[in-house]
Amino acid sequence: MADTATSAPGLSFPRATFAKLTPAPFLQAHLKQPQPIRPSGRKPDELREPVINTGSLSHSNGSAVVRLGDTSVVCGVRGEILLASEVPHPPNEDVSEEDLVENLGLLVPNVELSTGCSPAYLPGNPPSNSAQSLSWRIGSLLHASSLLRPDDLTISYTEPKSADMGPDEEPNTTVKAYWTLYIDILCISLDGNCFDAAWMAVMAALKDTKLPKAWWDADRESILCSPHANDARGLTLNSLPSTTTFAVFSTASPLKQRSEAESWVLADPDAFEEEICLESVTVALQGDKIVRIEKHGGPRVGKEAMDACVALASKRWEQLQKLGGSV
Amino acid sequence: MPPQITTSPLSRPDGSATYTDALSTVLAAVNGPLEVSRRDELPSEATLEIHVRPAAGVGGPRERWLEAVLHAVLRSVVLVHLHPRALVQVSLQVVREPAGGGVGLGKGRGEVAVLPALVNAAVLALVGGGVGLEGMLSAVLVAVGGKGELVVAPGVEVLEGCESLHAVACAAGGGLVMDESTGRFDLGVWGEVVERAREACLAAFASKGEDEAMANGDVEAEPWMRQVLEEKVRDANAWREST
Repeated sequence: MADTATSAPGLSFPRATFAKLTPAPFLQAHLKQPQPIRPSGRKPDELREPVINTGSLSHSNGSAVVRLGDTSVVCGVRGEILLASEVPHPPNEDVSEEDLVENLGLLVPNVELSTGCSPAYLPGNPPSNSAQSLSWRIGSLLHASSLLRPDDLTISYTEPKSADMGPDEEPNTTVKAYWTLYIDILCISLDGNCFDAAWMAVMAALKDTKLPKAWWDADRESILCSPHANDARGLTLNSLPSTTTFAVFSTASPLKQRSEAESWVLADPDAFEEEICLESVTVALQGDKIVRIEKHGGPRVGKEAMDACVALASKRWEQLQKLGGSV
Repeated sequence: MPPQITTSPLSRPDGSATYTDALSTVLAAVNGPLEVSRRDELPSEATLEIHVRPAAGVGGPRERWLEAVLHAVLRSVVLVHLHPRALVQVSLQVVREPAGGGVGLGKGRGEVAVLPALVNAAVLALVGGGVGLEGMLSAVLVAVGGKGELVVAPGVEVLEGCESLHAVACAAGGGLVMDESTGRFDLGVWGEVVERAREACLAAFASKGEDEAMANGDVEAEPWMRQVLEEKVRDANAWREST
């Protein structure tokens, strides 16, 4: 590198300078190759391999660490007891079992980005707009996919049989309390696609969650929890949905002819790509059904591109099913 | 029934509009180009700022999410390069939404249901405020019922029992600018939904000639958005003709 100072200043930049000065032409130059390749060395439709670790946090009921390239996310699930007598507006009879979890707010996801994970989010600041909207998207997908069974989260009490009860009479069963699951998601390093990583972490953490055995003690009029780990039981989860995010890079500009514009769909975008791509697509699959499509920002993804996105998303789903089996 | 629209209900902002359909009412106000704070300044384009206020209470994560979606959608039609280092501010007040605050419409349906109204109100206000747009844009809500039937611009009773719900926005030229879908569906259904929604969206601002090709007995086939805007232009030019 010593002779760079002596040689005549050329008209070319080093790679990093090119990327910093004009990010969009830099990405375009990569994708224009006969074999399109992204600056990270991945193919446009190549997803990053997730690495999932569960049960790393000892003080939470369930936890997971997910690493997706340079994005790492920690998720901890903590169960707290909500007494039925303390619910200000108890759900009335006609609320279906399925809606109970959402109605009572028994799942509380929170995404924290202000951890120093990226220069874009200053540590210690209040939750930014993107952190809030991530929390919301995770919560809404949790409810939309009806992942948890409400009876897993209810603590009920069956009154003992009294002497004046007939032999056929069933004793009364009342719901005394609910488990509220606080799902805290901390992003410890952010290199794009926080949503997919966070969602994988939530899924793995919920799978790992074990709630202690809890029962209503009629004499003390309170809920007691068993200290024995053997009594704890896991949650029964429906088939776990998986999400796949795509970014769409386009050279379209209002200053150019529309026909000149080219676009590429990039699977699992990193931070550099996310910054220059205006359009994004997220597909959430549960088995062979789509539970959510979020697509906004531009007109580039039509039917054909969506077909390709969903095909790739179902590949990711199968991959996660395999990973899920081993955790 | 086509949506009910009032253009320029507010006198202070540069542009404003109210949009009412079977499910929701939204009041939109647009100001711009304005001076932008140093922190948000972009050297080559205008900053787009979206504020969504719910029908009751103060905004939370749900409104931040709606703002993020609207920002991406509007950013794709507003000619932001015309006003570098400036601010275009869009404020949206939800006046009425299905099942008041989304309590009765769980599973992400309440938010998807209110999105088309927010997009349409914002576009009408942007046009009213004279902010340059690349082309028109309109949004529509499509529900897929329990028997697989498609309902364009459904009522509340359809929402409660629907299999899936899709908020779709199309720009002039037919580009799919927004699709927020929730529920349970497959790609085939999604394709049909997008096709129907595209027809409905384009019909909203089709010119009279195109309209005939678009109309296929649909409720939304009437070019309601074009009619409203044409009427507004006529009113604005009335003084010219009278002198």
